[in-house]
Amino acid sequence: MAGLVTTFGAGAMTNSIGEIRDADFLFVIGSNTSEAHPIIAMEMKRAVHRGATLVVADPRAIWMTNIADRHLRLNPGTDVALLNAMAHVIIEEGLTDEDFIASNTDHFESVKAAVAAYPPERGEEITGIPAEQIRAVARQYASTRKAGIYYTLGITEHSHGTDNVYALSNLVLMTGHIGHASMGLNPLRGQNNVQGANDAGASPVFFPGYQRVDAAGIVDKYEASWGTELSRTPGLNLNEMMKVAGSTLKAFFIMGEDILLSEPNVSHLEEGLNDVEFVVLQDLFLNETARFADVIFPAACFAEKEGVFTNSERRVQRVRKAVEPPGQARADWEILVALANACGADWHYESPAQIYDEMVKDAPNFAGISHARIDERHEGLQWPCPSAEHEGTRFLHKGGILRGRGQFQAVEYRPSLELACEDYPLVMSTGRTLYHYNAATQTRRDPGTDEKQPEAFIEMHRFDAKKRGLADGDMAEIRTRRGRVECRVIVSRQVQKGCIWMPLHFAEARANLLTNDAGDAVTGTAEFKVCVAEVSRVQSAAPVDRSVDRSVDRFPGSYYSEGGAH
Amino acid sequence: MGKTLELTLNGQTLSFGEGDTILDVAGRAGEEIMTLCHDPRLKPVGACRTCLVEIDGWRRLAPSCATKAEAGMRITTHNERIDRHQKALLSLYLSDSVSEEATHDTADASQLHSWAARVGAATDWPHLDSQRFERSDDRNPYVQFRADRCILCARCTRYCAEVESVSAITLAGRGSKTTIATTDARSLLDTSCELCGGCIDVCPTGAMTEKKPLAQRLKPARMLDKVRTTCNYCGVGCQMDLNVDRAAHQGRGQVVKISSPETGVAPNDGNLCVKGRFAYQFIDHQDRLQVPLVRGEDGELHEASWEEALQAAARGLQGVAKRHGADSLGFISSSRCTGEENYLVQKLSRAVFKTNNVHQCSAT
Repeated sequence: MAGLVTTFGAGAMTNSIGEIRDADFLFVIGSNTSEAHPIIAMEMKRAVHRGATLVVADPRAIWMTNIADRHLRLNPGTDVALLNAMAHVIIEEGLTDEDFIASNTDHFESVKAAVAAYPPERGEEITGIPAEQIRAVARQYASTRKAGIYYTLGITEHSHGTDNVYALSNLVLMTGHIGHASMGLNPLRGQNNVQGANDAGASPVFFPGYQRVDAAGIVDKYEASWGTELSRTPGLNLNEMMKVAGSTLKAFFIMGEDILLSEPNVSHLEEGLNDVEFVVLQDLFLNETARFADVIFPAACFAEKEGVFTNSERRVQRVRKAVEPPGQARADWEILVALANACGADWHYESPAQIYDEMVKDAPNFAGISHARIDERHEGLQWPCPSAEHEGTRFLHKGGILRGRGQFQAVEYRPSLELACEDYPLVMSTGRTLYHYNAATQTRRDPGTDEKQPEAFIEMHRFDAKKRGLADGDMAEIRTRRGRVECRVIVSRQVQKGCIWMPLHFAEARANLLTNDAGDAVTGTAEFKVCVAEVSRVQSAAPVDRSVDRSVDRFPGSYYSEGGAH
Repeated sequence: MGKTLELTLNGQTLSFGEGDTILDVAGRAGEEIMTLCHDPRLKPVGACRTCLVEIDGWRRLAPSCATKAEAGMRITTHNERIDRHQKALLSLYLSDSVSEEATHDTADASQLHSWAARVGAATDWPHLDSQRFERSDDRNPYVQFRADRCILCARCTRYCAEVESVSAITLAGRGSKTTIATTDARSLLDTSCELCGGCIDVCPTGAMTEKKPLAQRLKPARMLDKVRTTCNYCGVGCQMDLNVDRAAHQGRGQVVKISSPETGVAPNDGNLCVKGRFAYQFIDHQDRLQVPLVRGEDGELHEASWEEALQAAARGLQGVAKRHGADSLGFISSSRCTGEENYLVQKLSRAVFKTNNVHQCSAT
């Protein structure tokens, strides 16, 4: 989100989910929308049924490519080359919005100079997408007024993730596709409350409401509010914390995350955790990280507590208590209050509503939001919402860019950190599936989602499978420079030759033993989406039972296995 | 939209926009019209014929869901002719469906039966015994189709095609054998179905129903409390209703079903996905942590009281801060927890432990 804060002044979806249905051009890049955000995909389907043009840019064929007008099947990690080439075409053909650029933006000249070196033919060389297609999409995007861009971790989880966001922002700024309904730049958030956690200041550089911890006026305000002295040095981001676990970091407090299942290059992290002196966890279930925990607090789940989640479209919505937590489990906020007081603080909070009121008091963008107002309205409130009379904000940048002027940021294509080589000839990417969620601690405890997708797998092109003597359903070993796992192979039409894809949900074949923890220079986000790998057959594995009916997919309903859809 | 368009409905002059149906206009004016096959998310088909209205100068009654409003129309939504038509129609539907008592085991009250009761439809007409095929051996864990309740309004198949866009279920067969089917009568698990459960939500008769509450003989939905909340999976933030049996689990309460809010509610317009609608069994899972745990001298985790655990945690964290300095601590907050909880974690880190080493698990 740091990228968007730089270019636009706010790290969030510019538009509302309900506006997608009215868009005329949808550019979906690095988002497997129908699996990761099924409800947003429904809105996109609705737009397509209405006649909108859908272009999907993704190395992998996904469900959405079925209904797309065009699938730009770019080589993994070459997004900047594609986007710069599109910008090149838009400038070359005079499709820019000069009035918007002049009155709302800075530094267009630098981008103009940078993308001059990216004619579509060079784009084709790097991305593998025919130059004519790049031209056509650029023209369509630039000349359609209601044109929206939608992206997720396929854009950000790269060593050049922030560059990718800059390159997208450049397209938006040069065409002026912003500040109205159904157009703009929309990061779709992966977790129920990623937006809300960022908004609340769970960040090494920001207090609540994106107010910097090293800005004197801001720190003074919080010191006065909280009645205590505060550190003015930005802290470590998550990726940095994982790297110095055990060396500089000697204790962790971890709420609701299994770092050993979710963070990249986990074998390095495990070594580090051995040297960490103290770990406190609070969670619903005993997780992998619990092996290193000294104290574990049992927490309540979303159905057992009050509070708010903020969704992708900046909508603050209520979480309401329906049942009591099991045993002695308590809501996370109650545990945090008790822990702070045990550490000598003097906190008195009776309810999440009261905590929320304290938070918005010092965060102007949320000042008009309260539990009481949300309860009254039945549809949440979208920030910015600066006062109790304000109705919330459906789309951002109406009548001008939030930060004053939109900032063009020239970017150059940089290859991913790992490139296919003799020892590791395959490029591996990771992602989510429809039937599981993150570490799958919740979805794998449900008989239905677990039956639909019971075990770990990789998808592999038939050519690569044949070369390695692998058949659909075989067990295989996947190796990268960091580790190895075993799982099943699906011979798939979904991935291209030379690429494999692996879901991140399965504890028995942890994708993060394999992935690269080298991070983006700005955000620290790790390069989950590109690393190199080799796959070989596991000889000892029991052969697949060929007596089962192979007309029915091993992974039932898996659209892209060679068996095809029914 | 251009110039203002007007029509008369039950004697009232109403304005409307181009493209509005009579049902849209009536709905805005607060005039209730009976519907079964209608859903605002779907293209109107006028299949069930319950929403017929009388238009001056038209020989036949017209389906208000599928008839576009026209300037100058004079429309009546309730009169003797319409009432007679609706009563006969619903009596026919009842003779092709099950009795009201038989629907009491299901989830939500059947819209068909509540409308039938309101118009005084006959319940003693001879039963039709339609020979509809159903997939009683479908091993999918969520959705059950009960053919004896179906009146072929096709809301489920249209939802599957138009909203979810997978067309896993379709109308199949002819005449009284027409049914809701999958390719080759396969289990939904072996089709393009993504198990979103939208077919259950749109069904007005309880023919598409949820398996879990039936199999576990849980209380039907009308005896449950509904609590509106926000889904805890992805970042869309779907609104959903937790259906709670208050008496279950010794009064602790149990979530026995999750249902959609009404259409039109942001952000999900009444839609849910497989995870949101069905993957809630973790709430009651036996693996849930129920007691604080503290690692003892023996290196194992032991159950402890809250007071012991809190003291141990405080001692441990403060000890490290003292030995290695404030910036030797790292606080990892969670994008799965509430905004208030994230606020408290960063306040704990900054105000109590004096470090900005705080981040959440998925900051990109």
